[in-house]
Amino acid sequence: MAERRTRGTSGSDPSRTTAARATAIAEQLHHESCILLELYRKKEKLTVGELVADRRLVSVPPPSSQLDTGDTLWRLHSALLQCRSLLERAIAKEEQELGGGKKGDYETMRKMVKDRLSLLLINTELLRAVDGAAVLTPNLDELELESPSSLFELKLWIYRIFKEVEHWSKTAITTLQGLPSVMDKERARGARLRSMRSARR
Amino acid sequence: MKSESVTRSIMIPFILLSLFCHSSQDGNTGEHVVLLCGPKNLTLKSWDQTIQATWEDDPSCSAVKEELVYELLVLVRDQQVHHDLVTVTPEQIGLSHLWTWTSHRALECDSPSVLLSVRYRNYTSPRRQEGTLPGMTNSSDPEVYPRDPVFQVGSRATFCCVLPAGGTFTDMYLVGYNRSEGNITKINNQTYSLSLVLNQPSSPSGTDVKCEATIHQQPTDNGVTAFIGYPPDDRELQCETRDLESVECQWTVGRDTHLPTQYQLVGSAYECFQRTCRGKEDVSTGERSWKLRAHNELGTVELTDSADLMTRVHMLAPESVTGSTVNHRDARLKWSWKVQGYKDLNLTCEVNLSHAGPQKPNSGVGLDSTVLMNLIPNWSYNVTVRCRTTQHPWKWSSWSSTFNFHTKGDVPDALDVWMKMKDNEILIIWKILLEKQSHGHVLDYTVTWSNIRGTEQHNTTTVTHNHVTLRLDTTQQYVVNVTARNVNGSSSPSTIITPSSSSAGLNPTGVRGSRMAGGGGGFNVSWSSSPAASCGYIVDWCPSSSPSTVTWIKVPQTNVFLKNLREGQRYSVSISACTRGAALLLETREGYVQEQRIQGDLFRALRSKQTGSEVELSWDQIPLTEQTAFIQGYVLEWSDRDQQDNNTAVHNVSTDEPTSTSLTASDLKTSSYTFTVKARTALGECCSKQLIVHVNSGTDNWIRTVVISLAAVFSVLTLVSVVCCRQWACIKQKVYPPIPRPLLTDTWLRSTGERSLHVDQGPSEVDIMDAPQLLRKPGAQVNQPPPNLPPPLRSLPAPAGLPSSPFRGAFQNLSYDLMMQTEDQQPPEGHTAEYPAPTPPLDTAQEEPGSHMTCDLTYILVPQPVLCKFTPLMN
Repeated sequence: MAERRTRGTSGSDPSRTTAARATAIAEQLHHESCILLELYRKKEKLTVGELVADRRLVSVPPPSSQLDTGDTLWRLHSALLQCRSLLERAIAKEEQELGGGKKGDYETMRKMVKDRLSLLLINTELLRAVDGAAVLTPNLDELELESPSSLFELKLWIYRIFKEVEHWSKTAITTLQGLPSVMDKERARGARLRSMRSARR
Repeated sequence: MKSESVTRSIMIPFILLSLFCHSSQDGNTGEHVVLLCGPKNLTLKSWDQTIQATWEDDPSCSAVKEELVYELLVLVRDQQVHHDLVTVTPEQIGLSHLWTWTSHRALECDSPSVLLSVRYRNYTSPRRQEGTLPGMTNSSDPEVYPRDPVFQVGSRATFCCVLPAGGTFTDMYLVGYNRSEGNITKINNQTYSLSLVLNQPSSPSGTDVKCEATIHQQPTDNGVTAFIGYPPDDRELQCETRDLESVECQWTVGRDTHLPTQYQLVGSAYECFQRTCRGKEDVSTGERSWKLRAHNELGTVELTDSADLMTRVHMLAPESVTGSTVNHRDARLKWSWKVQGYKDLNLTCEVNLSHAGPQKPNSGVGLDSTVLMNLIPNWSYNVTVRCRTTQHPWKWSSWSSTFNFHTKGDVPDALDVWMKMKDNEILIIWKILLEKQSHGHVLDYTVTWSNIRGTEQHNTTTVTHNHVTLRLDTTQQYVVNVTARNVNGSSSPSTIITPSSSSAGLNPTGVRGSRMAGGGGGFNVSWSSSPAASCGYIVDWCPSSSPSTVTWIKVPQTNVFLKNLREGQRYSVSISACTRGAALLLETREGYVQEQRIQGDLFRALRSKQTGSEVELSWDQIPLTEQTAFIQGYVLEWSDRDQQDNNTAVHNVSTDEPTSTSLTASDLKTSSYTFTVKARTALGECCSKQLIVHVNSGTDNWIRTVVISLAAVFSVLTLVSVVCCRQWACIKQKVYPPIPRPLLTDTWLRSTGERSLHVDQGPSEVDIMDAPQLLRKPGAQVNQPPPNLPPPLRSLPAPAGLPSSPFRGAFQNLSYDLMMQTEDQQPPEGHTAEYPAPTPPLDTAQEEPGSHMTCDLTYILVPQPVLCKFTPLMN
């Protein structure tokens, strides 16, 4: 409790600071990914019918209330890592198959989203380190690696990847915003357990 | 050994069969053999929309000594969609045969079959082979074919959409195309095709072809991305060297193909990027050739070029251009070369000078400097340099970076002087020097003149404007010199000789004047040559309304076009002969470049004057500035306003004198007239202005005069009467003063005859002295009551600062309060004439000696004392 009080008064809890910064980055990423989706939809004149039949490309364990902070962070970090990997492949593939035109707002926003996602990953990594969890690189083996068989499918695939980025940036906001209170509870629970054990001894 | 036995086992039955056939058909054994001739091992392949069929001849065909004709039928759902023949020569029999055909529709949409048969001579073999392309695999989504196709703009394309089982077709279209441009056909329950002409090139990410359907009650769609573009049509490959160490090949890129297009310089390791291929090369190897291949999915273009690279030196731009020496009118430029090899080449360099353009090129081996001549002093220049090889001129280098320099200042150029004469004045005028002529800020101009004979001293004046007016003896000629001065000194003098009045000179009097017409924005002026013109002619011109804005030009010929003149502006043009002495005025002209209809109110001050039955309408002289066309005269029209019907006669009078300022209408009756005055120009009548005038008869005028006179007399009399009434008292006093009754007393009756004698002779001096109260004693204070005056009835408070006086309130206006003793106010009988009276505020200076009383006719104002003597009159 004393430790908790000290942190509360000093206001320099590194996990809180990192979480706040990561939340801000996630919010910015979500905003930019929404713009990117809109720019792409306009560029490729995609219709709603094509977009509803989407399926998930990022594969992570399902969310559960039983997951502790470390697992939650790991799940988020894993999803974001997959997003970045997919985004990099999408950009490369798009440039290779559909590039050649003048670079405009879309290309600028695409690069911005990619850079912002990398920044968010750095911060979630830091957060996990602060939290004391082992910094394990999530396994990307489950990531869907098959490429689209036609250009039209490529376009839809790219859209789905952008959609994944948007979805996981939104999830990151929710997760990161709720993180400090969860961590406080866990610390409190841990302290109680320690005191009970020492009392038994 | 094993293979040999196998071969034998095959060959023996074959030989036996052949022998059997040969013996049993009596000479027709060959035909029996070829009955078995036909295709075998038919295989079908497909890519994009192309079918490729390969097959072999049956061994029996080897017996046929003539050419075989294979017939191929392409069937789609048992319907023939294509027919083709393949001829196999006897030499080709036994080999593998190949046939390809490209369908206009995606093969996945149709699953076509190929039926192959053979015939020779007139015999058709019963042996046939049939192959079918595998259809598309079942999908849960609609599938569009062909996948990722490439088309040329303008071609017709057919796409098909294959629905999964149970799917319902909704629509099929190309994004960016109108739905009406495509023709949708139902091929079968599961297949639909869309056919249309592709008239738009696709974007870099292609054009999507979409098929919309409903599958299991869910709307869904799918599509393919098509690329629509052009084959490459690049041309004009040119290879050259810039640094004498490498080669650059460039070409003219054709229209945008809208497709990825690869470029390759065949047989070289050059790197190609965009529209340039580069590679290291020994440039001294003489003639060689290059081949460029441009390729995309719609075609290939090959371009070739050959040259000796030493004749294809495209130099890099000179570097570090500087001015080593900069003077008043010349400068020396230097530059350097980035490529050392240039120093060994014979080079030609061109300098581009701002305000002067490209200079004459200079040549030399390794040329790296040049001298610029004929520069303008005190002038800023921007200079760039470019070069090329002299021996084999190929291309100019690009221009070097700009070098700026400023030449040193100098004295101004000589002035261009002219003069205009008017009466006894001579206007000496000169053109203001342009910046490139002044060579610095002009401080002032000095005008010097003297008699041409040199009998007078030089007169000098300095001015800061560009003209001076001289009043000279016009009987003599003068030499006038004008110089301009700037900080560097004075210009060389410009001399002009003024004409004398004895010569024709520049005085326009007596010189032929004429009108001229303009056109094309100016005047084309030509004149007869004059023997007096020894140095050409001087033509000067100015707006006629402002002669001081004259400008001039000196020409050697007898015609000139004066341009940039305004339409609707009258110009005066003078033509003078240039002589060794004074200029000689030959002729003057006046005209408009283009006459314009006069706008606005020309007759601004239109007025009328009736004289008897005539009315004269007059106006102010019309200024030249308002005359946008020559006025040829004026017209005055009038009509009787009282006759309102349409048949009212309109009378008019006109003049052809442009300077006229009046017109008179005559024979007018007493009525109201509408007068209209107009100006006549070459463009028609204009500037109409109306004036309504009521014309009176002579009797009316007489009656009006009498009435006015009577009214004036009546007014005067009334005024006199009023004045008299208001001043009646004074008038009466002056004209008929009251006569006091004589006071007859016993004393008076007992007086001596001497006193009676006084009465008879009128008021005596003593009597006059008997009214002492009306006279102010010398030294008495003004407003001081006489001793015997009763005290005032009331006393007003004295103004602050003034001494209180009991009389101040009672005698506010002494002149107004003057009391005059009338007959009614005379004292009762038995009293003397010594009645109390206020002392008037008389000025002692104005007081006449012997006066007794003042009377003011305009008493409201400053008192004007009138002396009224109270002279006792006998009744």
